[in-house]
Amino acid sequence: MIQKIRFAAYSLAALMTLSACGGSTAAPTQEDGAAEQNTAAEQTELTVFAAASLTESLTAIKETYETAYPEIELIFNFDSSGTLKTQIEEGADCDVFISAGQKQMNALEELITADSRVDLLKNTVVLVAPKAAQNPPQDFTALNQVDSIALGNSDVPVGQYSQEILEYLGIWDKLNADGKITFGSNVKEVTAQVAAGAVDCGIVYRTDAASEPDVVVTAEAPADSYSPAIYPAAVLKDAPHPEEAQAFLDYLQTDDAMQAFSAVGFDRP
Amino acid sequence: MDWFPLWNSLRIATIATGITFFLGIFAAHEISKRSRAAKGFWDVLLTIPMVLPPTVVGFFLLRLLGPHGLIGARVLEWFQVKITMTWYASIFASVIVTFPLMYRTARGAFESYDRRILDAARTLGLSERYIFWRILLPGCRKGVAAGAILAFARGLGEYGATSMVSGYTPGRTATISTTVYQLWREGNDALAYQWVFVNLAISFIVLMSVNFMERKKR
Repeated sequence: MIQKIRFAAYSLAALMTLSACGGSTAAPTQEDGAAEQNTAAEQTELTVFAAASLTESLTAIKETYETAYPEIELIFNFDSSGTLKTQIEEGADCDVFISAGQKQMNALEELITADSRVDLLKNTVVLVAPKAAQNPPQDFTALNQVDSIALGNSDVPVGQYSQEILEYLGIWDKLNADGKITFGSNVKEVTAQVAAGAVDCGIVYRTDAASEPDVVVTAEAPADSYSPAIYPAAVLKDAPHPEEAQAFLDYLQTDDAMQAFSAVGFDRP
Repeated sequence: MDWFPLWNSLRIATIATGITFFLGIFAAHEISKRSRAAKGFWDVLLTIPMVLPPTVVGFFLLRLLGPHGLIGARVLEWFQVKITMTWYASIFASVIVTFPLMYRTARGAFESYDRRILDAARTLGLSERYIFWRILLPGCRKGVAAGAILAFARGLGEYGATSMVSGYTPGRTATISTTVYQLWREGNDALAYQWVFVNLAISFIVLMSVNFMERKKR
């Protein structure tokens, strides 16, 4: 008999604990409305998945934005647009996605709020070499004489642009056949390899070259050799905080935000 | 299907295992002769690569072997050869991560060998060298062989450090693990599966051999 009572007591305790847990997740949403009036407000975490090339500029914007809107905390996930796209497809929680290429955003057509999509920025593709290099290639056409070159792989937007440029110049096949290309999984990896001198040169964005002191830009890609490097941005349909997400996206299009972007080399599209 | 990654992975793992084999048994023998305290210290130091994330190992290796690194700069100067972004760098990476496996297995085997046989050999006037190569090592061959096979299997599966120091160049530095990653990124699931299958098959064979050896020991 006493065993049955004990069992019942433990089950009841467990049940109460579980419902308390369930209850505590319900409570904040009711408090959120009231929280905006509190100074010790519950912070809204806004998750932004952004292309790796936006690391420096968005980090600068985060400071300004969070000072202006203290109830928002920006959480960034910087990686290649291809990786981020896959993460979103696999169910990652995300409010805003900023891609370095249209292809990755197009792939997420079903998952984004269609009328939030904007073309946010434009970047320029450049050839970089290690700062300490003796004889860096001065031009894209000089690339068939280098020993090694680092590019983004085909899932990375800058890798796609690199392939377009090299195909336009007719040297893609030869470079591949000679095994001179090492493929990195995002643009920061490529930049790091060039900065470390592990390769003779690499193709990255002007903005990455600006943020990495150990690389120098030796040439800009001819404008008609690749599709414009436009960065689309959008709010996700399943965004945990859609209004705040749209507000942040609107902020990114203001002149204030544009200052931070152009400081590292971005242009308006 | 381009079979280069298989050839590359196998040659890297084989060479690395060869190096690790000698380094491992040498270290195991030397350290088993030391005091308790020294043994403890060396054990920790030499086992660390096994517990460190491969990316940490890769980071250190890049600093060491890169064109401005301690070793890399010298090699560049003397031999005009860049170690990073080549398959040679993968050998370094594999040796470092497989060494602890060989070391610990060999040490375990050496220490469980009957000391009296070695002492008997000494009373017969045999040199330490003879004792090591002709008595201890052959006597522990099952354990040592198991260690070598484990090291080989681990070397075959090296990804993190290899990817960082060798990059990914199809036909030059691609291994099975970096190829599968690349294929996944490209969305080429079919080919990725084929490689996964190849890797599973090799791993299966390798681990079966370990089992086989260990069973015979008992």
